[in-house]
Amino acid sequence: MRIAVCRPQVPFAYGGAEIFTDTLVDQLRARGHEAEIVSIPFKWYPATRVLSQALLWRLLDLTEVDGQPVDLVVATKFPSYVVRHPEKRVWLVHQFRQAYELDGTELAQFDARPQARATRRKVHDLDRRALGEATRLFAISGNVARRLESSTGLVAEVLPHPPQPLAYRCESYEGFVLSPSRLDRAKRLDVLIEAAAIDATLEVVLVSEGPDRERLEALARARGLEGRVRFEGRVPAERMAELYARCGSVYYAPVDEDFGLGPYEGFLSEKPVITAPDSGGPLDVVSDGDTGLVVPAEPRAVAEAAAWLRDHPDEAAAMGRRGKALAEAITWDGAIARLLG
Amino acid sequence: MKLALFTPVPPERTGIADYAALLLPALRERTELTVVKRGSRKPPRGTDLPVYHIGNNPDVHGWIVEALRRSPGAVVLHEFALHHLVSGMTLARGDVRGYLDALERDGGLAARLLGYAVIEKRIPPLWENRTVDLPLAATVLDHARGVVTHSEYVGMRVRTTGYDGPVFVVPHPAWTAPRVVPADVSGEPLIAAFGHLNESKRVPQLLEAFARIRADRPGARLLLVGAPAPNYDVSHFLQRLGLDGDGVEVTGYVDEARLWSLMTAADIHVNLRSPTMGETSGTAIRALSLGKPLIVSDLGWFAELPDTVALKVPPDESEIDTLTAALELLVSNGEVRETMGAHARALAESKHAVGAVAGAQVAAFERIAGGGPVADELLAEVSRAAAEVGIEPRSEDAAELARRLSEVDLGA
Repeated sequence: MRIAVCRPQVPFAYGGAEIFTDTLVDQLRARGHEAEIVSIPFKWYPATRVLSQALLWRLLDLTEVDGQPVDLVVATKFPSYVVRHPEKRVWLVHQFRQAYELDGTELAQFDARPQARATRRKVHDLDRRALGEATRLFAISGNVARRLESSTGLVAEVLPHPPQPLAYRCESYEGFVLSPSRLDRAKRLDVLIEAAAIDATLEVVLVSEGPDRERLEALARARGLEGRVRFEGRVPAERMAELYARCGSVYYAPVDEDFGLGPYEGFLSEKPVITAPDSGGPLDVVSDGDTGLVVPAEPRAVAEAAAWLRDHPDEAAAMGRRGKALAEAITWDGAIARLLG
Repeated sequence: MKLALFTPVPPERTGIADYAALLLPALRERTELTVVKRGSRKPPRGTDLPVYHIGNNPDVHGWIVEALRRSPGAVVLHEFALHHLVSGMTLARGDVRGYLDALERDGGLAARLLGYAVIEKRIPPLWENRTVDLPLAATVLDHARGVVTHSEYVGMRVRTTGYDGPVFVVPHPAWTAPRVVPADVSGEPLIAAFGHLNESKRVPQLLEAFARIRADRPGARLLLVGAPAPNYDVSHFLQRLGLDGDGVEVTGYVDEARLWSLMTAADIHVNLRSPTMGETSGTAIRALSLGKPLIVSDLGWFAELPDTVALKVPPDESEIDTLTAALELLVSNGEVRETMGAHARALAESKHAVGAVAGAQVAAFERIAGGGPVADELLAEVSRAAAEVGIEPRSEDAAELARRLSEVDLGA
């Protein structure tokens, strides 16, 4: 099949959605399909720009290219799913969150003025219409599907995708807690650092980069945690796999995450995951006492959870193994079969 | 967003005042809201959108329509038939021409001539018997920047007046059923109809169907609860059907506490209405809150109730037979009554929940207040870009642009 994978692109930014769509194209090609990314730069401000950006997608004609039909399009993020095609599959990464659950928060885009309010409502109407056109509608997680249903009434099939390919393995359950999250506020890494401050036996390794790194490093210094809380920055794939292989548990407790690959990567290394009841996507696979611990995103609760897992290695290993069974069930073969089915 | 609400509120004793009181707290959680004083002519400075609650009573809503004419805004249309309101604001104040113009707007020259006949007292007032074909809503809607209705039916009727602004259907909110002791009224089962008793409530049909039911079930009892309209005499219907013993009780007006108590006691609620102009029944909404099975007329707002909560009776030549069958089903099958009641309660707690209704209403107000400028700005941006690349206004490319905008409702 000839398949166009549609994604908006914020120029000079490359994140989870870009990795996901690039990998999807690779995986489609590996299965004999002709697959291509179709991308349009996305700028979401001033407010009405959101709608004209959506219109750009609507104006595309992807039914055929250079005289050859495009059999199917896979749209992913707002506003790429506004595209027209008789066989439009949507694999929803997320809607325009500023128009939904982020409205009224510090991350809000639309203020109280009537025009901004009406633009937000237009985004709702647009979603209902454009997503309603999809011949199949998938969401990358239960959290994304729930948000979609509560905001538009549309029901999506939950279709998670596998994490990045790494040499996943389990070598040991050492005492440290691994955080694979990007260093930004929504990931609540300050809670983990404060947990280490509460429990003097706790060791933490944070990988990745992000805009919150300076603040987090300052916090660790202020609490006198140098040596026990280590910032490794962005690490090569080999090192990442090694850290997963050796850690005792994985901390992954963002606020209302769309999906979250951290738990899947931890599970493939047979490690239990600590998450929070309001973390969103991770709760699809992290069950309290089964594949990890679900505790309030508060330092004391996280410290106690991490210490318990470290002090109960057999139970931690059993949780990790149960998680692995869940993560291994999610394969590109299975995902693509459903996507194209 | 700042709203200014023009509405009757308690202690005014109208259904719309009760409705406003029910919704106000939930609206205040979602917007900056000012309830303007009765008689105010303008919304406060800085208001983003004035909102006008319009019903058919000129004493209650006359000042609201006058304010609407000065400062157009959103209209929450509680009733589509506004003949009484318009005549009260025109003819009753000596504005003969205003009344005749409104009639002509709805019904052409023939309606205007009817108006003359009314003025000369040659025919009865039209607001007594011609509100269905001469609702006179158009003259009020002229000033609406957008309309909110409680039913698809009224939304459709609004469109048929030629109104071309945005129309939103937002369900009527449901009251939380109070914890009351069921009234001590016997009846095996107890069937009841609540609300004003008048020509449109199909009382003769209900009585005849009930008489048939009671022939086999002497323990069955029917309550007619509500103030009768002037000159509306139920007793002769009862005598004709031999129901003037203890099978039927006509209570007259009851206060709110007694109303809930009787409603709680009733096993089956009957809510018939024909003709209807799409008005929502407050007593039917209360029945949903209480989880009671309903029998309703199959038209207007009532027809939009889910089949899981209401048995529907078309007001046709078989009306009494159909109504009898519906009563028989509910009288004889407690399981059906319970299932329908459970669905009714669930409906009241979801679609008609105060929070859900307030949220939907605010969404409508936001669209009404800002939708026009958003569309204008978007179209200006698209037009500019189109012109810059040489797309002519009436070209095929321009038509394509218009089509795509329209497909996803991004046009004006």
